[in-house]
Amino acid sequence: MPKVTFITPENETITIENAEGTLMEIATFNDVDGIEGACGGVCSCATCHVRIPAEWQAKVGPASEAEQGIFDFMEEAGPDSRLGCQIEMREELDGLVVHVAGDEE
Amino acid sequence: MSMDPFAEGREGSGVLRVETEGAPVAMLLRMQDVRKAAKDWKTYSSDLAPDIVIHSEADVRSVRQLPIECDPPDHTDYRALVQPLFDRPNKDPEYKAEIETLVDQMVADLVHESECEIVRGFALPLQSKALARLLSVPDSEADVWIQWGVHVFYDRDEAETEKNPLEAYTGEMFRKAEENPGEDFFSHLNQLHFRGRPLTFEEKQGFANVTFAGGRDTVINTISGIFAYLAEHPETLQQLKQDRSLILPAVEEFVRYVSPLTAIARKCPHATALPDGSEVSEGNRIAMCWPSANRDASVFSNPDEVVLDRKPNPHISFGFGKHNCLGAPHARLILRSLLTSLCDRVDEIQVLKKVAKLEEESSFTRENGYEQLNVKLLGNS
Ligand code: HEM
Repeated sequence: MPKVTFITPENETITIENAEGTLMEIATFNDVDGIEGACGGVCSCATCHVRIPAEWQAKVGPASEAEQGIFDFMEEAGPDSRLGCQIEMREELDGLVVHVAGDEE
Repeated sequence: MSMDPFAEGREGSGVLRVETEGAPVAMLLRMQDVRKAAKDWKTYSSDLAPDIVIHSEADVRSVRQLPIECDPPDHTDYRALVQPLFDRPNKDPEYKAEIETLVDQMVADLVHESECEIVRGFALPLQSKALARLLSVPDSEADVWIQWGVHVFYDRDEAETEKNPLEAYTGEMFRKAEENPGEDFFSHLNQLHFRGRPLTFEEKQGFANVTFAGGRDTVINTISGIFAYLAEHPETLQQLKQDRSLILPAVEEFVRYVSPLTAIARKCPHATALPDGSEVSEGNRIAMCWPSANRDASVFSNPDEVVLDRKPNPHISFGFGKHNCLGAPHARLILRSLLTSLCDRVDEIQVLKKVAKLEEESSFTRENGYEQLNVKLLGNS
C-alpha cells in the first residue's frame, strides 16, 4: 500500500501509510495544516494547493486544464503546482512527498 | 426566459453592457476574463461603497460593507479579523451537528405537513435559523429576521419602508452586547481590534451589514432551485439516495447551475481596456457575471445540464481570489445537510405551483430562484 508525506508551510512532516483516495481527502482526514478541501474535491475552491518536487513531477503528471485555468491567476502558483483533489493515490506514487502551499487566501 | 441570458454575449464579444440608475456597467461574461478581473484589484477595485452590486445601494444603507468594499492592504487585515467566525463549519463539530439537526428537523416537519410553499415557508426560515446559529444568537432573533423577507433590502412594500430595518437592528444589537456581553457575533465584534484600536461603530455596522445581506437571497434561491430541480427530475433524487457519495459534488453542481449571485461590481480607478476592445472610463464600473462564467463552454461540457458527479467542476459561484465568499463553508454545510435529509426522508417532490423570480435589467432578464414554489412531498414509505 502506498505511502505519502506532506510537508506543511511550518515545515512539519506528516507521513501517512496505506494512503487511499485523493491527496486532498488523505490530508483533510489526517488534519494536515493548510489543506482545506472546502468544495469537497471538484477542483473549484483551490484550498488543497500542493507543490510537487521535481523528482516526482513526471510520475504525478502536470496540472489539468481545469487546474491550470485557476493557477493562471494565482500569484502563489508555479509550474510545480497541483490541486490535491486531482491526484489519486496509487501504487506508482508510493513514497510521494508533496509540499503544502499554504496560500494566504 | 432563461437562467442564462448571457450565452450570445459570452460567445460573441464577451462583454454585455447594462445600465443601472443611469450609470453604465460593463459585465464580463467569460470564465478567464472574470477570474482575471477578480484577481486584479489594482485595475478593478472593490473600494466602491455602496455600489458593490450592480444597483447602487445608496438608498438602503449608509455604511461601507466590510470586508467586501475595500482593497488590500485594508482588506487583508479586515478579513483576517472575521475569518475565524466564518470558518466555524470547518473547525467546530458541535456547530456542524447543530446545523444538521436544524435542517433535518425542518425537512421532517415539511414531510409531515406534506404541502408547503418553499421560498417563504421553508428556505427563508431555514436561512435565518442557520444564521442565528452561525452568529450564536437565540432563535428568537431569527424570528425577527424572517419578518424582513427574502431580500433584506428590497423585499418590502413601498408603503411600509420608512427606513430599512437592518442598520437600526444591528446598531441596537451592538449596543445591547456592549451592556451585556456574551459569546455572540455582536459581542465578539465589540472586542475586535483593527491595527491596535477597537473597531469603530461604522466598521462593525459594515461587517454586520454584509453578513445579513450577502448570504440571504443567495442561500434561499439555491434551496428553492434545488427543490424545483429535484421535482422536475425525480430520477435525480433516486440517484442521490442510492449513492450518497454524490452529495458533495451534487451540491457544487447545484451551486454552479443556480449561480444565485448574478453579478458583483468593481470600479476602474483608471481608464481600462476590456476584452472586447472597448474602454471603461476612469471611475466607471465593470461587473463579474458569475452565472455566465459558470456556463462557459470552454470550461464546462454540457454547461446547461446538471451533472451530479461533475468533476472537475471549477465553478466560481462563490467568487474567486481574495474576496471569495466568507460564507461559503456555512452555505455548503446547509446545502449538504439539506440533500442528506431529503435523501433520508423524501421519496418524491411534486410541484403544485411555481412562479420564477425574474431579474429585469436594461439589457437582459434572468430567472433566478422563485417568488413562489408550492410543493407536495411524498415521504419515505
Ligand atoms: C450560495 C450562497 C452564496 C453565494 C453564491 C455567495 C457568493 C459570493 C460571492 C460571489 C462573493 C464574492 C464577492 C466579491 O468578489 O466581491 C461573496 C463574498 C462574500 N460573501 Fe457570499 N455567497 C453566498 C453565501 C454567503 C453567506 C451565507 C454569507 C454569510 C453568512 C456570505 C458572506 C459573504 C461575505 C462576508 C463576503 C465578502 C468576502 C470578502 O470581501 O472578503 N455569503 N459571496
